Amino acid sequence: MKSVYNQLWLQNLELVKDAKQWLKSGFISKEQYTAISETYKSQFYHPNFTIRILLFIATLVAISGVTGMLTLMVSSAGEDALAVIVLLYGFTAFFILDRIFIANYNHYKSGVTEAILYYACGLTIGGASWVADFDSLVVNLACIIILSFAAYRYLDILCTIGACLSVSYLIFDECYEMGSAAQQSMPIVFIIIFTPVALYVRRLKKKEPAELWYNCLTAIEVLSLITIYAAGNYLVVRELSTELMNLDLVEGENIPLAFVFYVLTVIIPILYLYLGIKKKDLVLLRVSLIVLAFSVFTFKYYYSLGYHEITLVVSGMILITIALALFKYLKTFKNGYTANELLLEKWAGANPQAFIISQTLGDNRVTVDESFNGGGGGFGGGGASGSY
Amino acid sequence: MRPSQLQELRDKGLISHDQHTHLHAVLTKKIFSVFYELRTILYLGVLLFTTGIGILIYKNIGEIGHLLSIIGLFALTVGCFVYAFRFAHPYSDRRIKPPTPFYDYIVLLGCLLFISVISYVQLQYSLLDNGMGITTLITALFFFYAAYRFDHIVVLSLAITALASFWSIAISPQKWYSGDFITESNHHNTAIIFGAAIGIWSYILDRKEIKEHFTFTYMNFASLVFLAGALSGMFIDEHIYLLYLLILYLGCGATILFAHKKKSFLFLLYAFVFGYIGTTYLLSDVFLYETGLWFFYLLISCGTFIYFIIRFKNYFKRAE
Repeated sequence: MKSVYNQLWLQNLELVKDAKQWLKSGFISKEQYTAISETYKSQFYHPNFTIRILLFIATLVAISGVTGMLTLMVSSAGEDALAVIVLLYGFTAFFILDRIFIANYNHYKSGVTEAILYYACGLTIGGASWVADFDSLVVNLACIIILSFAAYRYLDILCTIGACLSVSYLIFDECYEMGSAAQQSMPIVFIIIFTPVALYVRRLKKKEPAELWYNCLTAIEVLSLITIYAAGNYLVVRELSTELMNLDLVEGENIPLAFVFYVLTVIIPILYLYLGIKKKDLVLLRVSLIVLAFSVFTFKYYYSLGYHEITLVVSGMILITIALALFKYLKTFKNGYTANELLLEKWAGANPQAFIISQTLGDNRVTVDESFNGGGGGFGGGGASGSY
Repeated sequence: MRPSQLQELRDKGLISHDQHTHLHAVLTKKIFSVFYELRTILYLGVLLFTTGIGILIYKNIGEIGHLLSIIGLFALTVGCFVYAFRFAHPYSDRRIKPPTPFYDYIVLLGCLLFISVISYVQLQYSLLDNGMGITTLITALFFFYAAYRFDHIVVLSLAITALASFWSIAISPQKWYSGDFITESNHHNTAIIFGAAIGIWSYILDRKEIKEHFTFTYMNFASLVFLAGALSGMFIDEHIYLLYLLILYLGCGATILFAHKKKSFLFLLYAFVFGYIGTTYLLSDVFLYETGLWFFYLLISCGTFIYFIIRFKNYFKRAE
């Protein structure tokens, strides 16, 4: 079994998308782009992102109408029959998606396809679980199997992420059920399982037959890297141990092997960063920055002196200094690195960026203003929700 | 894309030899850009720093040494703007490329520190008694100036947000989500007027070809505030909801016209979503009483809509 989509069209579509990126970054001319898109044709119905959202919403509403009518029709059936009916609905949805929208109308990630796909996944998983009386193992396995299938056949990233999380949960659940020895060694189990996964996926991504699933594989890679880190992170291990495994820590007491987790919390981000720089790998680099920030947070969480605002100011200053220094340093090429923009990121349009930044920073502004305002009556509502 | 595909493009004569060499270097990571990573770090730095400063001032107001800190803060703010003015290109009605990769963030940092300074002065010396109203207005005006002078879309967004909060409207999706926007009495009317005013203002500027690339930001805020205001009006002032529905339709019409003119589908999305909710409200009041009928309505309306979009896909394909 292969992906449901026509492979040649997919390759062409990706190539034309790359060419569009070059056009926007000023590498090639408009005529060249037109020539490329004429040469590499695909018949897919693949609208732009906004239309996809619109179609996604509309399809979900339409589907809920269908579901409602069907529910009215079968609502008198018994409980056992209902479970089977839900399962059947799910399969029908898969069939409609696969044979009608994709095979017949050549939809490719059109918003309609995603909506039907998630609906179908939800129904089949729900139906299968219902049939098995919501046994946790069956629910888990149903999630893994159906989401993996959806991820593989329809190249869907959300399903990929869902499948990965289900796998993690399955491992967690199994270890948890096995008793305290297995619970204690859970972090090691996670690291042992996900390290080969991350390494394997990295290699697989470079192979030609796997290129259709490139984005899905990247998602798996990111999740594996984060899982490995989280399994070794002191904060995660400690909080999960106390919350879920009823480990009672008295004041001054520490989790077993605390030292190991401290070391891992420091080492893993640095290792990612080092590898990312060495291999010029964006995935590793970006993940390393995120987990590095979380490591800092981990230490501040347990060893904070209580001056959060000073921490904020100082860390802000450090970040600004680092960024400005690197911008200056990388003005010219250093070992192939540059701080200049080469290819425009697909998501880095000025307008979305402005919206995000103004939303995050705007909130900061209002909070400060309002706290000054005190109980200023009428204007209070104009500000933010005050919660900081 | 694989290097072999790039070679294929070259062999077919679709890209020139030089372009191939250049793209090949990018593709095989011989040259590797960390532009976005550094920008993100810088942005986080600015975010943390200004947030920290804000809290710091608030907590330590009136203490010994505060004068020193405010002088330092003020000096930093001035420093940012000195830098900004020194490297700024002359003003132009068109888009200006920033002189350095991090220029945007220096201006942004200066603007955010400006808020801290002005809030501090206001609180410490109680210059302006009637609360944050005037301060917010001054901030907004200053931001508008900075946005145009330094050609800065983010500062423009901040300016519009500040101006809106002067009129007691919270422009933020999070707030609509938590319901703050809707529960405030009468704010929907303010929102409608504010949205319309901003929309007309941006239309005039756009016609005069002054900073046309700002139009999107203006219209984004204008349409969202206007439509959300009109829709909230329908739910709050139920007895005259038809009036608000009319206003909503007018807003949707204007938004669709704008979307058509600028070939921006985001505005089409706004218009359709708000229009659909409004229409559904009307229909549920008039005849949608039965559950079965409801489901049927959802299916038919959205099904027709999807069909319409796909049927006229060529129209929706243009631009972007």
